[in-house]
Amino acid sequence: MTGLRLHPFTLLAIAGALPALAWILPAPVGGAWTAAVALALTLTPGASPGNTGIGSSPDRRPGFVVFRTAVLTATPFWLFLLLLHDVPTTIAIGLRITTMVASFVWLVAALEPPRLVEAMIAAGWSASVAYLLAATLSAVPGLKTRAQRIVEAQRCRGLSPRGGIPARLRALRALALPLILSALHEVDERALALETRGLVPGVRRTPLAPPPDPVLERAARWALLLACLAALVRRLIVASPT
Amino acid sequence: MIPALRLEGVSFSYGTVPVLANVSFSIASGERVALLGRNGAGKSTLVRLIAGLQRPDQGTVWVGDWDTRDCVPEQLAWRVATVFQHADQQLFATSVRDDVSFGPRALGVGEREVQRRTDSALQDVDLTAHADQHPYDLPPGLRKLAALAGALALEPALLVLDEPIIGLDRALRARVTRALLERSAASVALLVITHDLTFAAETFDRGLVLDRGTLACDERLVSLLGDATRLEPLGLVPPPMAALSTALGLPGRPVREAEVARELARVARGRLAP
Amino acid sequence: MKSLTLDHASFWYPATESPALRDVSLEVAPGEVVALVGALGAGASTLLLVAGDLAPRMTGGRLEGTAARRDRSGIVLPTPWTQVSGMAFTVWDEVAFGPANLGWPAHEISRQVDRALERLELVPLASRDPATLSGGELQRVIIAAILAMDPGLVLFDEPAAELDAEGACTLWRLIRVLAKEGKGILLATSALDALPEVADRVVWLEQGAVRAVGTPDLLAEAAACEAGLGTSVATVWRDSELPEPAPLTIIDAVRRWR
Repeated sequence: MTGLRLHPFTLLAIAGALPALAWILPAPVGGAWTAAVALALTLTPGASPGNTGIGSSPDRRPGFVVFRTAVLTATPFWLFLLLLHDVPTTIAIGLRITTMVASFVWLVAALEPPRLVEAMIAAGWSASVAYLLAATLSAVPGLKTRAQRIVEAQRCRGLSPRGGIPARLRALRALALPLILSALHEVDERALALETRGLVPGVRRTPLAPPPDPVLERAARWALLLACLAALVRRLIVASPT
Repeated sequence: MIPALRLEGVSFSYGTVPVLANVSFSIASGERVALLGRNGAGKSTLVRLIAGLQRPDQGTVWVGDWDTRDCVPEQLAWRVATVFQHADQQLFATSVRDDVSFGPRALGVGEREVQRRTDSALQDVDLTAHADQHPYDLPPGLRKLAALAGALALEPALLVLDEPIIGLDRALRARVTRALLERSAASVALLVITHDLTFAAETFDRGLVLDRGTLACDERLVSLLGDATRLEPLGLVPPPMAALSTALGLPGRPVREAEVARELARVARGRLAP
Repeated sequence: MKSLTLDHASFWYPATESPALRDVSLEVAPGEVVALVGALGAGASTLLLVAGDLAPRMTGGRLEGTAARRDRSGIVLPTPWTQVSGMAFTVWDEVAFGPANLGWPAHEISRQVDRALERLELVPLASRDPATLSGGELQRVIIAAILAMDPGLVLFDEPAAELDAEGACTLWRLIRVLAKEGKGILLATSALDALPEVADRVVWLEQGAVRAVGTPDLLAEAAACEAGLGTSVATVWRDSELPEPAPLTIIDAVRRWR
């Protein structure tokens, strides 16, 4: 998949269609298919483009990292479900949640905010809306980098991220607080700072490098939408039990 | 005596990008060393290696008698306290006092000792009056001092700081200088990255200059700072006091403000004397 | 017409009793470099925000008096990492971010960006990812990014804080060049020793009010030295109790010494 970079709207369409289909299609088969596709996506080299930045090890295969993040994020939900439901229900709901989690994790890794902004501007969206959406999506990697820095600083102050549950909970609190506090503190500064970069209401931003949008991809997006609608209609008409 | 810090032939690359090449030096207890060099010369990477966040590709980093390859950063915290750049963005407790006491508490030191160390560190940087405030209510300059206090509270044998005085005015810089001089008098070894050569001249005795990843100079600041011809290829500029000393031909070429003032007064008196 | 005119400006941040700026009147002419000096918290940053129409518009709070600009203003904040767009994978794109937002045609954007990169000696870094840059490199990128928007009034808040000696020298030279091109420059800095070469006028702020205005010679006077705002040379001259007037720069000191 190297070299084949999909249009950002296509990425959004896929990331939206998979969870939608997971919930629309009859469980557990529907959920199993969509979860499998979503997890497979996290393994593609197309996930996590761009530099990894100073301080991280560049020789880890990025696809595996994304897959692992998806699995680790989904796992607590499975445990929770197992406590509340019987096995068939757990599997049915768990697969749907896995699809949602994996799709989102994949989207965050694969979507490049600058390309999304360019695509939205080219499609006529206002710059502010485009930045809002892109900033929300890029907030996650930004938080990850910041979290890494905070964990490092705290390890250098003696806090060990290993050990038993109480130790890990302490470590989590020591990470969560500065992460949220400094991120919130920066939100004010960021809003002001972005203002300084020329965001004038009513002015149409010049597209610098709008990503190519081949007819095939546009058709594929429509096809995905239609597939979801068709599945929904079929589900409503046939009204088969879960 | 085992040096507080020793690097032997340390080389390091980020992937294929070489950052440090064959760096060797050692720092004894109580020594005050400034780590100088252009932006991008490898100074911050060196700090990461000392803190144990990264392992050298070649060579060894010894903190005391510990090889950093055998340690994790939280272990090394027993011996070396590191304050990274922008540490003021990493404060998290709801009060300055809580943040400063975080380190000694994480080390497992007894509660009374934690309090003693916290009070002592706050006093060293003159932050006692702000101890119960929320860190983010303090102006950025005072937040930097809070981050420094957090490191001082660990009472390490080696203190490593990355650009501790950026954004501080003269008064706050003087506070930092005083705190560091006090610690070094108590045998703490200091290794501090700074691009402010005035601060370097006032606070440290020895200078290590990194140039594109190699150690270009390792000598006393007094001899290094007045020599523009040597500093220029390294991307450095003589600080005002050193430049003034050289320009006026002051005997001994002092580089510290107090010493320059003394020499100026002395020479001036000598001229007036019959 | 002046690049910037502040007329009896007083400013209160939201929910604060005491004003951050008190009755400040200040003018910056096109082609003039005015430096703001003062202790931390004296109000220089606030003054720049008011000058750049960011306070009270973005910060909230209350402004009394007026702040008038002739041209578009650009501000370089002391925290370059907050001004990074987060929407660019290369330094070139980062610098182009502002001009693109202003809706300029693509060829004009190219011209301004290339020019800005050259001026800040960033051409070798043009295809680097901004997230991998050091603090000093990032500060230069942000300065280039603001200059690429071709502001008539340029506001700098501690622009050399993260820069090394070479970077700082390049910056001071660039500021003089910008002034020669007719831009008005308002600069808050604690790099007092650079001001005799860089600034045409110095404004001393104390607790939000203007305490003194003058040429950089102000920084050799007794009052400034006592407040910790003298140049290094002037300060050490006074500490040695040598006769007045204290020299401002090393060259002045050499002349006096003979």
